[in-house]
Amino acid sequence: MDLLQQYGPALLRGFGFTVLCWALGTIFGMGLGLLIALLRHYGPRWLCWILQVYIEVIRGTPFLVQLFVLYYGGPLIGLRLDALPAGLLGLTIYGSPYFAEIFRAGFRAVPLGQLEAARAIGMTEASIVRRILLPLSMVSALPALINFSIILTKETVILSIITVPELMYQVSRMSAETFRYVEANLVLALFFWGLVETISRLGRRFEARVTKHLIERT
Amino acid sequence: MFSIPVFLESLVPLFWAARYTLLISVGGIALGLVIGTLICAARLSPSRSLRRFGAVWVSFLRGVPLLVQLLVFYYSLPLIGVDVPAMVAAVFTVGVCASAYISEIWRGAINALPRGQAEAAVAIGMTPADVWRRVILPQAVTMSLPALINELILLVKASSLVSVVGILEITRASQAQAATTFRPLEVYLAAACIYLVINLCLAGLGRWLEHRTAV
Amino acid sequence: MQASAVEIQKVNKYYGPFHALKDVDLSVPAGKVTCLIGPSGSGKSTLLRCMNFLEEYDSGEIRIDGRLIGYDAPGRKMGGRALREMRRSIGMVFQQFNLWPHMSARENVAEGLLRVRGLPKAEASARAADALAKVGLADKMDNHPSRLSGGQQQRVAIARAIAMEPRLMLFDEPTSALDPELVGEVLTVMKTLASEGMTMVVVTHEMGFAAHVADRVAFMERGELVAADTPDRILHQPQDPRIQSFLRTYHERNSF
Ligand SMILES: Nc1ncnc2c1ncn2[C@@H]1O[C@H](COP(=O)(O)OP(=O)(O)OP(=O)(O)O)[C@@H](O)[C@H]1O
Ligand SMILES: [Mg+2]
Repeated sequence: MDLLQQYGPALLRGFGFTVLCWALGTIFGMGLGLLIALLRHYGPRWLCWILQVYIEVIRGTPFLVQLFVLYYGGPLIGLRLDALPAGLLGLTIYGSPYFAEIFRAGFRAVPLGQLEAARAIGMTEASIVRRILLPLSMVSALPALINFSIILTKETVILSIITVPELMYQVSRMSAETFRYVEANLVLALFFWGLVETISRLGRRFEARVTKHLIERT
Repeated sequence: MFSIPVFLESLVPLFWAARYTLLISVGGIALGLVIGTLICAARLSPSRSLRRFGAVWVSFLRGVPLLVQLLVFYYSLPLIGVDVPAMVAAVFTVGVCASAYISEIWRGAINALPRGQAEAAVAIGMTPADVWRRVILPQAVTMSLPALINELILLVKASSLVSVVGILEITRASQAQAATTFRPLEVYLAAACIYLVINLCLAGLGRWLEHRTAV
Repeated sequence: MQASAVEIQKVNKYYGPFHALKDVDLSVPAGKVTCLIGPSGSGKSTLLRCMNFLEEYDSGEIRIDGRLIGYDAPGRKMGGRALREMRRSIGMVFQQFNLWPHMSARENVAEGLLRVRGLPKAEASARAADALAKVGLADKMDNHPSRLSGGQQQRVAIARAIAMEPRLMLFDEPTSALDPELVGEVLTVMKTLASEGMTMVVVTHEMGFAAHVADRVAFMERGELVAADTPDRILHQPQDPRIQSFLRTYHERNSF
């Protein structure tokens, strides 16, 4: 009880940072991923190629190492960031190639005929993307998008290693002061379990609502 | 400024540290295969409580960040009197975590097989053991090889987290290197390169396997 | 009276609350071809699959050569070993072929001889070759299913069944998954089998096959076995209005 009183506010603040990092990281990562996917879809060949390399490099290296490069290596080339912005930027970069690949697969799943129908009535490419390509690709992409967003909640704990004051960071500090390592981490584990289960459940419900009329009944 | 000699120099010791990274990921996948197979069997078994157990196992290990799992195991093993080297604890954690994903890979592959395949075997009077051994497993294994390689790639990356419990794999070694040389940019980029090379090789292997089985 | 290869009495089957087979009676004469026809969803496949207990029936009796299948006594399930023993002598051919894609045609056929009949490898392989030759696939023995046409795959599936030397063969719409031009080769193999005196139960939508090859035709609707008689009396002079309307729909759909 005392412990809770003493550390409660810090934990709550940590949780706030966790949610913040996750939400912003997901939104920015998704945005960057969408941009990459569109550029690969419409852009010139050389750009596709560069983006392909970017995707392979980011997906081929651990998030932690990416954070180290950014946070500790950045200042050497003049990129001096605090822990929180560095963490957010890291999360955005880390997530973007996965999101990009999900969008790309979604684009591919859209039947060509439906895009041709839009072109045939004279829609501009931009409005085809906005009105046809994106909504239709959601049918197949949404489950994967939700799934990866959930994976990102778990990645936020890694930000504690570069001292972003999120939940894991607060728990580590608390357990270092109280020597209750096992309990603290166990509680944290249960907490994440509950969180991820809840988000998954909500995600499935959301998914069912959004794609309801888009999925053909046979 | 970015110094290429520093970058090249740090490649050598990091490359050497990669053996621990590989040991942890390969050990993890091996342990994960064993446990994952058992969990998958539990999830497919007729016993309701076994199925429930398997489902909870998978949901817990997939819901909890690996870093948290690692610390839970690392700190609680000594408490229950198990005094193991950090390396063993690391392989154990990574393997247990992988088992959840691997059991899902198996389950997906088995469920993807058309039901009729097993039925045809039952109809000519094969024993359940033979149906599994001769019809289901050979196909499930070939089908899931690329997914298993993918899992191995994930483990190579995930193994960077065991640096927090002090194992001198690539990431930990690069931290030490960065601290002594004061050149974090070059050192961490070198570390990233080594991970990238390992994973590109594995991805190539995965593609080759996929291509070979897709005939 | 003729000996019955399969004797079905008052068989009922439920899928949850759904009554899929309702008091079905049918006797399948030995050495003859019996065709099961009826609208989609009427329970033809279900009845056929009950005959080798791939599907469990809930009440009634199904006797294969006089022996009850699936149960030792009413209400007491048969042991796995005894059931496998009985299934060995019942061949089954599926609509979707269900060949094992990781084995060649020959290995598909030899597998049962090897694992179930326990024959030595060389002999199993030789018999598999014979069975494949019989369905006209001597030159495709080493192909995997993915390198065979649909008609060839179905013939391999038939070879896989006959290699076990069954006394009864069950066919569940063996030609429904095939392109029209491939149907003929499979029906030819089945006709040959029939002329050799194999007892066959064939679920089919091929009325031509039923009319020319079957000795008996049974008509099912909504889980009930409406009538079983000679092809002529079912297909050409049907008494029951349900059969008449089914045939009318069939003729309308197939005339152009
Ligand atoms: N596993 C199952 N669970 C629930 N209902 C089932 C199951 N299998 C079949 N049914 C139902 O039982 C009825 C009979 O099915 P069956 O497959 O025997 O029909 P059928 O006469 O073979 O039709 P078709 O000509 O289309 O193959 C159908 O209404 C079907 O919906
Ligand atoms: Mg059917």
